[in-house]
Amino acid sequence: MSNTLLNPQLSILLEIQDMRAQLRELSSGEDGSAPMEEEHFNIDLDEARLHLQEKIDEMVAELSPQIRARYNRIAPNRDRVVVPVIHGVCYGCFVSIPTATAGDQGVHQVVRTCENCGSFIYVKP
Amino acid sequence: MTLRELFTSQSVELSLKAETKDEVLKELIELLGLDSKSEGILFKTLKRRENLGSTGIGKGIAIPHCRSLVVNELRLAYGRKPEGLDFQAIDDAPVHNFFLIVAPPLEVSNQYLPVLGKIAQFAKDPDIPDVLAGLESPEDFLKLLEDRAP
Ligand SMILES: [Zn+2]
Repeated sequence: MSNTLLNPQLSILLEIQDMRAQLRELSSGEDGSAPMEEEHFNIDLDEARLHLQEKIDEMVAELSPQIRARYNRIAPNRDRVVVPVIHGVCYGCFVSIPTATAGDQGVHQVVRTCENCGSFIYVKP
Repeated sequence: MTLRELFTSQSVELSLKAETKDEVLKELIELLGLDSKSEGILFKTLKRRENLGSTGIGKGIAIPHCRSLVVNELRLAYGRKPEGLDFQAIDDAPVHNFFLIVAPPLEVSNQYLPVLGKIAQFAKDPDIPDVLAGLESPEDFLKLLEDRAP
């Protein structure tokens, strides 16, 4: 399980993205997983939400100033700050990403964004 | 979509080698056949979920689950550790049966929560731990789902 080719900043963004997904779900009442987490897994929801938010804040602080600035600009307005690129298509806006961005070697060594929607992108192998 | 349709024999392992909580999460993740970078991210996300409270629901069963960007569709795996291992379960008993559930952050079909509920329900059936202990092949597991979780 080596992460040698994954840019550390991209790795942080992916973790933040996953935590935001868990937090959103624990916060969305009957539509989310909150009732199930309480019923089957005995989760203290308030504590869990607080814990996740703290972790997200910690990880955001670990972002480089430039990436953090962009993160802070886009995060309040969208559910997903990092979106997958699958078969050359950005799943944030469903627009094709130029092959130079989507397909070249070392695609996970730098943090890239979609020129169309501005999301950070994670190119799926 | 039935539970049976969400598993393949490749995503079922009846003799897990793991001895610790971290090892078992990694071994379950391997059953999904992701690339190593995705495996690393998924491990961290599952660990964070476990830190909120163990997904060991008692009676030897654990259901580690999360949403993660590293999967494109709902993915499930089942692993069995006949000797059991410490997973800090709700009843403090060793866990023998592990159901892994991973969903993308947003899914069109919205199957994640219903499937999580179905697995939890299936696992709570009083005779299920004994039945799982008696399985001899991944195909037996798939057949069991067909019969018991239609
Ligand atoms: Zn885009």
